[in-house]
Amino acid sequence: MTSPITSSIRLLLRDWRGGELGVLFSALLLAVSVVVAISGFVNRLQLNLERESASFLASDLVVSSASLVPLTWIDEADSLGLARAETVTFSSMVISDSDEMFLASVKAVGGAYPLRGALSIDTGSLQPSSDMPEPGRVFLAPRLVEQLSVSIGDDVYVGDATLTVAGTLLSEPDSTSGFFGYGPRLVMNSVDLNATGVIQPGSRVTYRMLVAGDSDQLDRFHDWVKPQLVQGQRVLTVDESQPGIGATLDRARGFLLLAGSLGVVLAAAAILVAARRFGERHTDQVAVMKSLGATKHTIQQLYAFSLAWLGLIAIIVGSGIGWLAQSAMFNALADQLPGEITATGWSPYITGGVTALVCIGFFAWPPLARLGAVSPLRVIRREETIADATRASDLVLGAISLGLLMLWYSGDLKLTGALLGSVALTVGLGFGAAQLLLKGSRQIGSSAGSIWRLALAGMQRRGNASAFQVVIFGIAIMLLLVLTAVRTSLLDQWRLQIPEGTPNHFVLNLASSEEQTLLDFFAQRDIEVGELYPAARGRVMAVNDKPLPNWDEFEEGARQREANFTSTDTLPEGNKLVSGSWWEPGTEDALISLEDGFADDIGAKVGDRLSLRIAADEFVVEVASIREVNWESMQPNFFVIFPDSLLQRFPSTLFTSFYLDPSEKPRVGELLALMPTLTIIELDVAIQEIKTIIDQVSQAIELVLLVILVAGALVLIAGVSASVDERLHESAILRALGASRSTLLGAVAIEFAVMGALAGVLAILGSEAAGWALQTQMLDLKYQVQWLLWPTGIALGGGIIGVLGTFACRKVVAVPPLQVLREL
Amino acid sequence: MIKTSQLSKRVGTASSELEILRGIDLEIKQGETAAIVGASGSGKSTLLGLLAGLDSPTAGDIYLDDINIVDLDEDQRATLRSEKVGFVFQNFQLLPALTALENVMLPLELAGTQGAREKSEGFLARVGLGERLHHYPRTLSGGEQQRVAIARAFASAPVILFADEPTGNLDTVTGANVVRLLFDLNIEEGTTLVLVTHDTDLADRCQRKFSMSAGRLEEAL
Ligand SMILES: Nc1ncnc2c1ncn2[C@@H]1O[C@H](COP(=O)(O)OP(=O)(O)OP(=O)(O)O)[C@@H](O)[C@H]1O
Ligand SMILES: [Mg+2]
Repeated sequence: MTSPITSSIRLLLRDWRGGELGVLFSALLLAVSVVVAISGFVNRLQLNLERESASFLASDLVVSSASLVPLTWIDEADSLGLARAETVTFSSMVISDSDEMFLASVKAVGGAYPLRGALSIDTGSLQPSSDMPEPGRVFLAPRLVEQLSVSIGDDVYVGDATLTVAGTLLSEPDSTSGFFGYGPRLVMNSVDLNATGVIQPGSRVTYRMLVAGDSDQLDRFHDWVKPQLVQGQRVLTVDESQPGIGATLDRARGFLLLAGSLGVVLAAAAILVAARRFGERHTDQVAVMKSLGATKHTIQQLYAFSLAWLGLIAIIVGSGIGWLAQSAMFNALADQLPGEITATGWSPYITGGVTALVCIGFFAWPPLARLGAVSPLRVIRREETIADATRASDLVLGAISLGLLMLWYSGDLKLTGALLGSVALTVGLGFGAAQLLLKGSRQIGSSAGSIWRLALAGMQRRGNASAFQVVIFGIAIMLLLVLTAVRTSLLDQWRLQIPEGTPNHFVLNLASSEEQTLLDFFAQRDIEVGELYPAARGRVMAVNDKPLPNWDEFEEGARQREANFTSTDTLPEGNKLVSGSWWEPGTEDALISLEDGFADDIGAKVGDRLSLRIAADEFVVEVASIREVNWESMQPNFFVIFPDSLLQRFPSTLFTSFYLDPSEKPRVGELLALMPTLTIIELDVAIQEIKTIIDQVSQAIELVLLVILVAGALVLIAGVSASVDERLHESAILRALGASRSTLLGAVAIEFAVMGALAGVLAILGSEAAGWALQTQMLDLKYQVQWLLWPTGIALGGGIIGVLGTFACRKVVAVPPLQVLREL
Repeated sequence: MIKTSQLSKRVGTASSELEILRGIDLEIKQGETAAIVGASGSGKSTLLGLLAGLDSPTAGDIYLDDINIVDLDEDQRATLRSEKVGFVFQNFQLLPALTALENVMLPLELAGTQGAREKSEGFLARVGLGERLHHYPRTLSGGEQQRVAIARAFASAPVILFADEPTGNLDTVTGANVVRLLFDLNIEEGTTLVLVTHDTDLADRCQRKFSMSAGRLEEAL
């Protein structure tokens, strides 16, 4: 007796030569390479995007505080091995030698600042520099340089300190933190902070501790520091600091994980189909081997070893292919990706290997395990077939293993649940409906013409196998529909988030008397300016006469009780009422509308009476409505809105926004020269960055979708080829009996198209269910029934499967029948 | 009428080229009965397949009723088969997806003949399978499958019937029964019969007798 190792190798080699292994091996290879490629790609992309968006904070995590950060926090960060930097921001007058003065937003930086992203400094030399200022040196924003009429090498005075201008600040990574009321930036080294003497007890200063490093350590630090925060302190991560970017990244991650999980399901489906076919084709061989004396144990051992070899080769080759594929995908994006390119670790290969093992164990092995039970009698009477041997228990076991695999892969219970649920729905509906329809087709068939009769008779005779095929096609089409639909709504949503021409500059402190000057300025230059909102800074003092605690002032905390108040009689676009109702235009009542988060912060609800203060005036208003505001929209948004009649009673300035093309950037200086009291907030760089990220992620998503489409196509091909042998055989006999080409191809096409259309219906039902679950539960997108999908899915199913099937069987009309019969 | 001239068939295998038929000339008139005998592997089945237009020759011509079927494409040959030719395969070639009855009905349905079911039931009864109409091929014995194949060949009332070892799997009684059916068809309908057989008695009953050896055909006189 030869060892199972050598005999299994011999079996594999023979099967390979005979072309039997092709489909099973490609399905395994597909599983491994898709999983390795996607998880490798997602891994790298995620790292890269996190880096990129971390530059919004200049770090991975920021703790801000109105007072000095406790030393224990610094120690903790150090002991966790996190990189650290600090910034101190405050407003201060800056004076030049020529006695020009200007209120600047000063940022003193220290440690390894910036931890993420880079400063860009024009030092007068050719190359822009990215180092932080040395002690005694400062960088000034271009507008400050202009206002102070200084140039590089001149001295400026901040408080008591004399500092030398070392460069012009072109961009800084954390420019977007802090929104209201600041002048142009001055960056200095924190070593010089004491020398300025500006910071006194009670001055309005924000201390920030920046940390960066390994995500596990960051999480630990985050969890450690969070409970210790007192009023006036806040911890910010990338996701929290930039709602736009955070949500974008979350959704992209969700999508990519979804895509990866779909890859796994598709691969499992392909393997199941291929293994069944492999098993069927080996049934005769096993019967013969058994009649020659092989035991059940020998057979099982033989096939177990073969499968193990196959899996091993698939893992090695698949990892290689996956590596190549993810490199190719990543390189395709590399131009757009900033910074160094991150490498993948071992985890994608481990994921790929585990996927292969699960697929082999739960999807490939069961049909082969049954080979051991094939009766040698089959040699004489071909009564037994393992075709109908996919048992419910296999499916259940398979589903559980697949679920665990996906859960491990995505770490997301909802995603796994949604996908498995919809796959289960498709399988259940599919077997039920397919049985019914296949039975019904007997009636239709017997009264129809010979092509239909042939087609329906074939389909119905293959009953279980046909139902199985319908279900596999259904799953593949469903998953592709789901992914395409999610991708489309994701991209649409992103496109809407920052449409072309989104305002990227905001104007504050515009006096009503200057309104016309501003409008003329823009009209002359053909620049569109947004709506003008009155704005007054005010404070919520009490809710229902219950005073709110008088917290320390500091900028991020402002939203909790101090805000810019505006007025309008129409609900602003993009706002949605969550409770209460909008007031009648022209109302004279003392009403107020609150943003929902703001309302939560002060603990107010509709009907409550708020005591407010604007400047020296205190007055009481009633909460008329609570609004949900889309903060991702990058449009001017307000926490607090009054009816027009109310705000008119208070001194207010105007607030507006406009869009500037990069080429028109000098207009900002011109406008400031014309109206020096204006405050202009420049968000163009930040918005551009968000756009870049969205573009990258969109491209990544298209690429991944492509990979999954290929995987889906392979499943369809595997499904079609599963029954090709039988069909070829039948068709050759029919041809020998004189059936014409059109009859044969017609019957094949009809059979596949009917199955495809059935699969299409299933796919739509499944994808609507999955789509609903995914979009509303996971990606936080709005769900709409995709009516267009219905005809598309059915046509797609019928069309694609019909064409694929006919194509796979085309041989039958091209080759003389005797040849086909001899080859099978 | 069947006529071939210089018919040859070569197949290329991986290592070498195999010449199965070497320049065969034969002529069988309408209504004649002919037997082809010969050693296993001598090329009998190959010749029969070529005569029925199931495969294309490497060289030479095949005339069925003055039509050179070598010039026809696959589809035209199929039509010709459905109109004129019946074939009984050495290994039966029944459709596993169809019952015995449906297998026999198939050529009739393909030709659009009326009353396919009744006729088929009749033929199955004549080969002794009246009780097995709704059984699938895989549940039938080898001889039973062979009789279904013969019934299927009869069903389309062919002008020429090719049968590759039609009695090979049958016991003497059933075999004799099938042979009687074949010759009845020849007498009643004037069907040309071309049989491949190892059974010398059956061969002797035919008007013409050919013997095949190593790809060459000779008429035994
Ligand atoms: N497509 C092919 N490829 C390779 N060899 C072939 C092919 N077709 C026929 N042969 C070979 O040609 C020879 C003749 O085959 P054929 O089936 O005609 O024999 P036969 O006379 O019918 O034998 P038997 O009495 O055993 O049925 C055989 O050796 C066979 O292996
Ligand atoms: Mg033969």
